[in-house]
Amino acid sequence: MKNLFACVLLLLSTVTLLSGCWDQQELTDLAFVMAMGVDKGKKEKFDVSLQVVVPASVASGQNGGGGQGSPVIVYKSSGNNLTEASRRAAKQIPRSIYYAHTKIFVISEELAKDGILDLLDALDRDAVFRTTTFVTIAKGGRAEDFIATLTNLDKIPVQKFIKTLQATERMLGENIKVSIDDILANLIDPGKEPVISAFRLTGNSKKGTTPQSVVTTKPPALVTADGLAVFKGGKLAGWLTGNEAKGAVWVMKKMQGTDINFNWEGKKDAVSTIPFISKTKISLVTKNGKPSMNVLIETSFKLSEINVPYEVTNSMSMDVIEKKTAEQIKKDVERSIHKAQSLKADIFGFGDYVHRVNPNIWKKMKGDWNAQFAKMEIHVKVDAHYRSAGKRNNPFWNDLKQ
Amino acid sequence: MSILSKMLKKKHQRRQSDNYRQILDPLKPDDLPIDRDVQMNIKHLQEEMGNSSDLVIRQIKIGQIGGALAYIDGLVDGKGISDYILESFTETKQISEESDLFQFVMDKIVAVGSIRTIRNWNALFDALLSGCTVIFLNGYSKALSGETRGGDRRPIQEPSQQLSIRGPKDAFNETLRTNTALIRRRIKSPNLWVETMKIGTITQTDVAILYVKGIANEEIIQEVRDRLHRINIDSIIDSGYVEQSIEDQTFTSFPTTYHTERPDVVASQLVEGRIAIVVDGSPFVLTVPAVFVQFFQAPDDYYSRFDLSTGIRVLRIIAFFIALIGPSLYIAATTFHQEMIPTTLAIAIAAQRENVPFPAFVEALVMEVTFEILREAGLRLPRAVGQAVSIVGALVIGQAAVQANIVSPMMVIVVSITAIANFSTPVFAMAISVRLLRFVLMALAAFTGFYGIMIGLMIMAIHLCSLRSFGVPYMAPLAPFNTENQQDVFIRFPIWAFKNRPQFISKGNTVRTGSNQKPAPPSQNVKESQNSEGKKS
Amino acid sequence: MEKAKISARQLFVLVVLFEMGSAILVGYPVKLKQDAWIAILLGMAGGILLFLVYYRLFLFYPNLPLTSYVQFIMGKWIGRFIGFFYIIYFAYLAARVLRDFGELLTATVYTQTPLFFLMALLILTIIYALHKGFEVLARVGELYFGVVYFIAIGGFFLLIFSGLIHLENLRPILENGLMPIFKSVLTQNLTFPFGEMVVFTMVLPYLNKPEKVKKVCISGIILSGINFTIACVINIATLGTGLFIRSPYPLLSTVSKIELANFIERLDVLFMLYLIIAGFIKVAVFTYAAIIGTTDLFQFQDHKKLTLPIGLFILLTAMMIAKNYAEHIEEGLRVVPIYVHWPFQIIIPLILLGVAYFRNRHNQQEAVSIK
Repeated sequence: MKNLFACVLLLLSTVTLLSGCWDQQELTDLAFVMAMGVDKGKKEKFDVSLQVVVPASVASGQNGGGGQGSPVIVYKSSGNNLTEASRRAAKQIPRSIYYAHTKIFVISEELAKDGILDLLDALDRDAVFRTTTFVTIAKGGRAEDFIATLTNLDKIPVQKFIKTLQATERMLGENIKVSIDDILANLIDPGKEPVISAFRLTGNSKKGTTPQSVVTTKPPALVTADGLAVFKGGKLAGWLTGNEAKGAVWVMKKMQGTDINFNWEGKKDAVSTIPFISKTKISLVTKNGKPSMNVLIETSFKLSEINVPYEVTNSMSMDVIEKKTAEQIKKDVERSIHKAQSLKADIFGFGDYVHRVNPNIWKKMKGDWNAQFAKMEIHVKVDAHYRSAGKRNNPFWNDLKQ
Repeated sequence: MSILSKMLKKKHQRRQSDNYRQILDPLKPDDLPIDRDVQMNIKHLQEEMGNSSDLVIRQIKIGQIGGALAYIDGLVDGKGISDYILESFTETKQISEESDLFQFVMDKIVAVGSIRTIRNWNALFDALLSGCTVIFLNGYSKALSGETRGGDRRPIQEPSQQLSIRGPKDAFNETLRTNTALIRRRIKSPNLWVETMKIGTITQTDVAILYVKGIANEEIIQEVRDRLHRINIDSIIDSGYVEQSIEDQTFTSFPTTYHTERPDVVASQLVEGRIAIVVDGSPFVLTVPAVFVQFFQAPDDYYSRFDLSTGIRVLRIIAFFIALIGPSLYIAATTFHQEMIPTTLAIAIAAQRENVPFPAFVEALVMEVTFEILREAGLRLPRAVGQAVSIVGALVIGQAAVQANIVSPMMVIVVSITAIANFSTPVFAMAISVRLLRFVLMALAAFTGFYGIMIGLMIMAIHLCSLRSFGVPYMAPLAPFNTENQQDVFIRFPIWAFKNRPQFISKGNTVRTGSNQKPAPPSQNVKESQNSEGKKS
Repeated sequence: MEKAKISARQLFVLVVLFEMGSAILVGYPVKLKQDAWIAILLGMAGGILLFLVYYRLFLFYPNLPLTSYVQFIMGKWIGRFIGFFYIIYFAYLAARVLRDFGELLTATVYTQTPLFFLMALLILTIIYALHKGFEVLARVGELYFGVVYFIAIGGFFLLIFSGLIHLENLRPILENGLMPIFKSVLTQNLTFPFGEMVVFTMVLPYLNKPEKVKKVCISGIILSGINFTIACVINIATLGTGLFIRSPYPLLSTVSKIELANFIERLDVLFMLYLIIAGFIKVAVFTYAAIIGTTDLFQFQDHKKLTLPIGLFILLTAMMIAKNYAEHIEEGLRVVPIYVHWPFQIIIPLILLGVAYFRNRHNQQEAVSIK
């Protein structure tokens, strides 16, 4: 009996072990897709372009032969859904296409206008594709060109996009990282509409795709961040650019850092302050059964630049700067709220907030929330607190020879 | 496994039925008494030992009566024999007639520490072969044996395997008595009891059991005795023979007895309630029962302060896991779970592997096997050649293999880290079992990635939990968990906080420290009085 | 019965690991959206009441497993009949959990690997452990308890530092009133996982201090219930209700969202580690109950002979209980709780308790003789 037991166990283990390796793939058999772009197709619904990294050209060192040849190759294919297009691309790629390291998903403006809903289930469902992948909109161009552009700061162009995105988020506060998860969550939420950061390709897109473009100091083509795209019902409804985008980021509680400039005694943008800590509070007020929203923004800022003579050391005079900064922020925020209201798209999640705080009101308003949002009164209040003036007290302007 | 054990069992039974023991055991025919005639005795002695050249027999005369003195050359202390036995024989001129001559020789002439009367041949051979000098006297059917053990032995030297930075520098040598003495010097208590027995039908090796009476668990002591008595093999060359004959489970790669060449380690374990087995001819002393966590405790842990020791012990446990699953993690990550590797690293590894023709598993296997061969060769080679091998190894593995695209540089890093991590396990027996298991896990990783590794670790954990060492669960005090004995597992508590002996070993007497042992600066009153005294002077 | 003795601590650990087991992977009442955690807490309270029923039965016969004392309560033949169905029930649950586990692996990481192979590896491990006996299982449980908590606490901090927990996702509380919650408690959360404590009626006699059963098991249920609730809250707070509903395995989605310092990301392996430990303990306890029940009912000398056949039986059952994932889940949510869990976890024990109460009142002698 004991022998039989051992034999069966041994047999089972060997059979199971020997038949293993279904999911096994060597690193060298994989084509790492770093970025995926989707354009509106000519014949079929989608034109998909995949930016695949060439490991040997990226890695420098004795084995890689560093830097010869292009670090990435862009493959194109088309199909009526993403799976079809992606599987067709296999015809051109000698390795199996691997999406787990995809960092960026680019949608062209043209396609975004037609709607992005058909793209999302494939990305959400796939076991390999990460739903934390960033999504961006290629403003005024094709996603394909966007993906094909090389850069000279990072070997892998995608790293550059990511860094640009992060840097502008931190420094400028004009865009936010939006992942597939976020888009889906906002799409199905009746009290919120998605926004996606937009990028624009400047310069000569043809020249930007050759490896030579990497060796010049002045790149022929550049990808730059350019505001936020507002979606409604899965379709691109409009843009928030510059200060509008900043205002939206304030309300969305995503502000990490930005700069606020205002005129002083007729001199344009003479003073610049940089808010570094901010807090946004939203509250719901119901008056006579009519709900309205209050947005309270509190922020601390540093003085970054002041190009007029000014008593920086005087706290009374700094109160004026505080007020001016708050006003400027309030102006940005109000502009962005008006823009959103005119687009009838609640990108800030006010509806969500109503749902959480007062489910009863929400039940009544849920049906036509976006219309309700458009005519809703939204009060903005900004408190700006001055914290530091940098290395100097009063600016040199005070002592300048007249 | 169980098939194998069954086969072994059958073979064992057959042996016993063949009177195997008698054939192997020429030393124990019938136990004859010693003859009255010295010449007959000498003849018998020479016949039995086949006229071996190291048997020295010297005829003597005491007064009128003839006698003989026999010893084995090399086993005895020659100077001692000539000073304390031969010299007194030759100097003795007068013998009081009335007293018994045998008694007289025993009392007055032989001036050595231990002296015994022997009446039959088996006992005589035992004494003679373990270095005693045997004295026959005409007319007496008994012999005297005087303790003259000596000869050339290795002196006490520094430990060669288990080094420590701060601990004592002496190590056991091959002599049983020296070894027990080294232990007793550290535990000056009458409760340190030593039991000796002879094991090995031909080698007749002395084996001593040491324990602290009152602390060690009586049941375990009895179990050790029983298991030692059960050993019935022809030879015990090293304590390894004993270890393999008494361990609870043969089919395991984990050591279930602890062995050490350091007397300080043995002493501290005896005080914890463990039992030491000292085998003559082996510088490694066994201690039982052994538990898993014990193999991560190095002597230095106790000699340096507790915070440092804790950090180092945690490091050692991490190193253990690196040594165990390092290469298999690499295989699993690169062939199954590429999404786990940070993007830049994944691309870098892919680039390195671009020209390597083998799958990651084969690559890892080649490197690991090469390394194991180098290590084994380095161990066996004469010291002078050893260096050459390590240079060749470094060149072959580090440079040429990478340049020839047989392995990727990443793999070299993985293998090196694994190897170095492996060396940090303080006890060789545990390190070597990790080496073996590493290959099993590599195979599992190659077949099913992380899932395989985890199944492997799971089976390993089940196996470890099922092991026992002399009845004590091997994973104690982790499983079964014991809160009071956690002071020496992951965190080494300060010495004054070692309040209890391990309860899974010694039952009953487990209190180690007096109350209020925490060191503290002098109390306020003392300080003040000192200050005031300082002012006065 | 095997000659094994486990300590109170070991029983506690087994209860906690068993209860959290697969529930933390698939047991969330996602339809309740942000109120799911309330249902879990209520289920826990109900589970404690249910356990008191099992405990009272245990007090009547402290040295016997369920399959034995059911014969004393209901008479030899009816009792054996019921005992036999309990064995089938335990084996079926073992197979269900095994299948849950296999489906999870094939859906996420091992997309190309056959289900059978993945489940076979785990069941072989379990057979090995049970072959070594229940004490070894208890010790392994102790060892893994530490690992599980280490992972859980580590994961928790990573989630917090990644800034993923948005507690506002939990609001509004009780949006749809209490009715859906009660309904969910009765059909799902009471029976899975808390009612599954019925399996411990088979192993309670192993405890070396029988007087501690009540304290140990109830504190185990409470700890696991609280852990489960915390996991549920974290999942909702991290994923938001939309993704929470859409994910078959919310915990996996939560873990894969962790992104910290640009390199601590894609930590699915942590999740897999937990998954394997939890799956192992849960399937092992069910399988052991089935094995020991069979040994007891059919008077086998040694349970070890049964580990392999019953283990393989469970593996094959796990393969056959459903054609695909949808069918498996539908069975688990609609059919099993009402038609299988309710009778075996609630109705039969209550009947047994009633009969046992009357028998022992009328016939004190019998109870004494069994003790």
